[in-house]
Parts: sequence; C-alpha cells; structure tokens
Amino acid sequence: MKHYKWSDKGEGRKIGKIGNYCLYDKVITEESCEETNLSPDAKYYGAFKFVYGPSAGGLLESIKFDITTDGERILNINSIPYKIRKIKVTGLSWEDALLKIERINAPFSASHIIAFLLAIEDAMNIEQDYQTQLKRIALLELERIRNHLFVIARLTEAASLSVPTFHLLYLIEETNRLIGKLCGHRYFFGVNYINKVNCNFEKLFKILDIVKEFRLIFEGLLESRIFIDRLQQNGILRDRDSIGPAARAAGLEYDARLELNILPYKEIGFKIVKAEDADAFGRFLVRGYEIIESSKILIELTDIIKDNTNTEEYKAINDEGEGLARVESPSGDLAYYVKIKEGRVTSAQLLSPSYVNLKSFMKSVKGTIFTDFQFNWESFGIWISEIGVNLE
Amino acid sequence: MKNWWFLRGVRKGILTEKTPKDIAEWSTEIEGKGVVNCPTKAIENGKWIAERCIFCRRCYPNYKPNLNYEISIIKGTQKLFKKSFFIYPIDAGSCGGCNMEIKLISSPQYDMTRFGIFFTNTPRHADAIIVMGTLTEKMKEVIKEAYNAMPEPKLVVLLGTCAISGGILGEAIPLEASVLIPGCPPNPYTILDALIKVKGGKK
Ligand code: SF4
Ligand code: SF4
Repeated sequence: MKHYKWSDKGEGRKIGKIGNYCLYDKVITEESCEETNLSPDAKYYGAFKFVYGPSAGGLLESIKFDITTDGERILNINSIPYKIRKIKVTGLSWEDALLKIERINAPFSASHIIAFLLAIEDAMNIEQDYQTQLKRIALLELERIRNHLFVIARLTEAASLSVPTFHLLYLIEETNRLIGKLCGHRYFFGVNYINKVNCNFEKLFKILDIVKEFRLIFEGLLESRIFIDRLQQNGILRDRDSIGPAARAAGLEYDARLELNILPYKEIGFKIVKAEDADAFGRFLVRGYEIIESSKILIELTDIIKDNTNTEEYKAINDEGEGLARVESPSGDLAYYVKIKEGRVTSAQLLSPSYVNLKSFMKSVKGTIFTDFQFNWESFGIWISEIGVNLE
Repeated sequence: MKNWWFLRGVRKGILTEKTPKDIAEWSTEIEGKGVVNCPTKAIENGKWIAERCIFCRRCYPNYKPNLNYEISIIKGTQKLFKKSFFIYPIDAGSCGGCNMEIKLISSPQYDMTRFGIFFTNTPRHADAIIVMGTLTEKMKEVIKEAYNAMPEPKLVVLLGTCAISGGILGEAIPLEASVLIPGCPPNPYTILDALIKVKGGKK
C-alpha cells in the first residue's frame, strides 16, 4: 500500500465507494461511503410517471429511468441499470484476471487495466520501469481523446447537428485506427502486462492531425448558438463529491493525474482544465480543451518513449499482499483495491467513475425539462457496463 | 462563416472508403499451427473457431491474424431488405466495445446508409435486432419483448463473441440468428460486410 494509508476517518477529497470501503485522495477507510441525500419521491399535484428505457434508441446501453413529471419538468427520477454482469476474478492469476478486467468497459479499458495492474504491482512490490510508465500515460491520454470526441459527438447528435456529428465520428474512427496501428487492437485488449506495454509508439505523432481537425470543429461549436443554448444552464451541479470533468466544470481542481505520484505526469507537465458554470456547457468545454491538452502530452511523449528499450521481466518482492491504485479515466477517478496470495487474486474491489457520475447526474437532472435530458445525460460520459458489474 | 456547417462539410470532401484501410490485426481471422493454451478453446485440433475467439493473443506467435476481416457466419439471408434495412441494436450485457463499433459503421469512412442500412429507435420499425453482450438476467425479458415487437419478416444478428458464445464472461444469447459477427469487438468492416450480405445486397 505504497500510495495509500488506512485511516479511521476520511481525510481530504472524497472519491467514493470501493467495495466495502470508502476511498479518499490518500487514505482508505472502513466507514460507510453511501450518501442518501437524494430526496424522497414527493407528491405533486397532477404528476404522473414516465418510463424511459431500458432499451431505447437514444440510449447506447440498457438502463431504465422512472421519471415523475407534471408535463415537462422532471420532478423526480430513479435509475435502474438493466445489465448486471457477475464477473469472477478471485482465484485467478493476475494474467487470467486481466482478460476479464479489460472487458469490464472497453471504452475505458486502458484506465481499468492500468489501475488494476498498478494495484497488483503495489501488492507485489514491483518497481515499474520508467518507459512502461510513459507508455501507460500514452494509452490513458489516447483513451481520453477518443472518449471526449465521442461524448461531444453524442452532444452534437442530440442537437441534430449532422455535419459536426459525422465529422467527429470520422475523427473517432481515425483515433481507433491509430490505436489499432500502435497496439494491434482498437480497445487496447491484450497489450498490457505487469511492467510492460506491448505497443509500438512510432506513429504516435499522428494524433496531432486528428486534434488539429478537432480544433476547427470545436471552434465552430463554440460559435453555434443553437448548440450552446442546449447546454448552458442545463444540469447544474456543484458538488464536492463529484469527480472528473463534472468536478472540473464546477471549478474544482480534482485530477488524479496530479494528486498521486503513481504515474510521472508531473514531470511531463500539463494544465488542469477548469470551467466555472458547472453545467453541461462547462462539461463540454472541459472535454474539448482536455483533448487539446492530452495531445500536447502525447506529443511530448513521442520524444521520450523509446520503443527499443525492452522492458525487463518483472521482479516481484511479494507474492502476497494488498495494493490500491487510482487513475484519472476520461470520466474521472477509477480505482482498484486488490489482495493477492501466492500470485493469485484473492479479492478485488472496483471504484468506477460511472457509478459516481450516475449519482451526480441524478442530482443535476431534477428541475430540468425533458428536452434537456439527453444533453445533460451525455455530458457526464457514463458507461452502464462498468456500473453494472459485480466483481467477485 | 465558421458556423456554416454545410460549407464545412462540403469542403471536407468525400471520406467514404471503397477499399478497407488500416484494419486492426487483432480482429481478423487467425491462422497457425501447434498446441496453444487458448482460454476459450477457440482452437481445436489446429482449427480456429471464430465464434469463440476473444482475440487475447495467447496463441501468438504460433497463431497469427491474417487481416481477413470477412469472418462473419451467414446462416440465412433476406432479399426483401436489399434496398432498405432497419436495424435496432440492443445491449444484453456488453462491455461497450461492441456498442462503439456498431455506432462507427455510421461514420463517413463506412457510411452504412449508402448500402441502405439505417438505425431505428424502436424494434417496431426494425427489420433486424442486433444483440450484443452476454445474456444478463434482467435483459432476458427485454430482448424477448423487443423480438416480439418486430414485424415479420425479421432477422436476428448476434454481434461479438459475448453474444455468440458467451466468450469468457457469461452466457450466449439463446436466439436463432441469421448472422453471427465474431470479434471482441468486431471491426466495423466486418460488421458492415456481414450486414450487407445478410440483407442480400452487394458491396
Ligand atoms: S486469440 Fe485468444 S481466444 Fe483467440 S484463438 Fe488465440 S488464444 Fe484463443
Ligand atoms: S464481445 Fe468483447 S467487445 Fe463485445 S461486448 Fe463482449 S467483451 Fe465487449
């Protein structure tokens, strides 16, 4: 537990529930992490229930919303994720567990795998090679760019802006192809191991072309009243318990990349992007500028990643222990807490950003109107896949 | 002028591809020899079984991908949908990878609509449901309802290893399918190729 300490009570920024524990920025506690400040369903004159989902074209994944409304306003809302997968990793070697961890959420698979491996390395007391650390940063930033492009494409699609939507889809596909070229797989499956990243970063600089094109679309969107009006004042959320772009859109300087020394982000240097209005527009702005920031990190990495440095085989000091690691996924903090014995996983707990963001979304949506819903929902970048996982 | 999306679109020109470009290796057919420790038994007696492969690379270098993306398994076609084919994707319990790749066949590079393939927002207007992910408890009923809501004739497409065989994560989708699209996730080229074939169209 190199990066975390056990504590009786929470200290610092609260990240969220991880299994039976509660995670803060530097400590983990056994206190209950649940917050129940979602107000109970009140009675409204003339109100009725409306169901959205669980399977509907507008939703990418299966989730059901029970909405109480008096016509247009969302007075109350409940959400029920519909696809619950039991994924068993206990009793498996770390390599076998990895096959399952990378399939918890493909769009964030680099974040999941890297957090999991960092936790395993922590438990086994393995020192990571510097080149491996740099390569891991490259995967995380490529994933961030692809995700943010996707979230923005979902937002423009909701606004029926076809030209930017298709242009963004074009760029997402180009990013996937670049990832496929570097790593052989478009979602980083089968490329990450203990102290090793099996990608060839020679063509990494090509991300610059993609981001250059994105900038033009982004500038155009910033001048589009039709688009901006849908996002401003929509889903306002100022909450110290929020994470990722949702927190940064409310001016909170929360970012696991700079809070922990688990990956050498500080040496590479980058700016935390923030906005002030705490609405869907703020979340859009944060994502847009983060794409540009991530491309700067990647361009720096092209000079210092040396593909010919063969990472040495890992040397584990323990084959028994516990480890905890947190990374900044595209939608915020993502953490794994693992225990291992004789090289096998005996327990694994996950804190997924979408779980925290779903709670944030639910808080922000009350009082908004139906036409706001899709924009607000997409602006949080939530994946039901990682919420609906029971890790066993 | 910056907001003139139409002009911006025209200026970008045509991006649609006639021939496949930059296919990621680990989504294509796998060939090789020798004994390997495949976690899903996708290699049996030296033969590769696409329906089970999760593209994990454990068989590498004995077995290698050969860049052939036309790996779908067509079990029946429906020529009635040659000109227009409406598809309704439904997620039984996926990791999101199959969802992303099906979405990307609408990107300009693939442009599914030029083949008369369209997404619909309701199974009532669908010619096919495309089921992805493993079968999860709550979604059993939802899939049944979506299937029953489709007008005849109707097709079932199973997208990705999870839906076809369960992969390493769970149960397969127990529906008789017209086409199986292997991959974890399948490449957009594979998906498009399969959909064109199943609707009895030409590339
Ligand atoms: S890639 Fe993995 S699942 Fe596919 S055949 Fe090779 S070992 Fe089996
Ligand atoms: S087949 Fe692979 S990509 Fe598709 S849902 Fe299953 S694990 Fe995800």
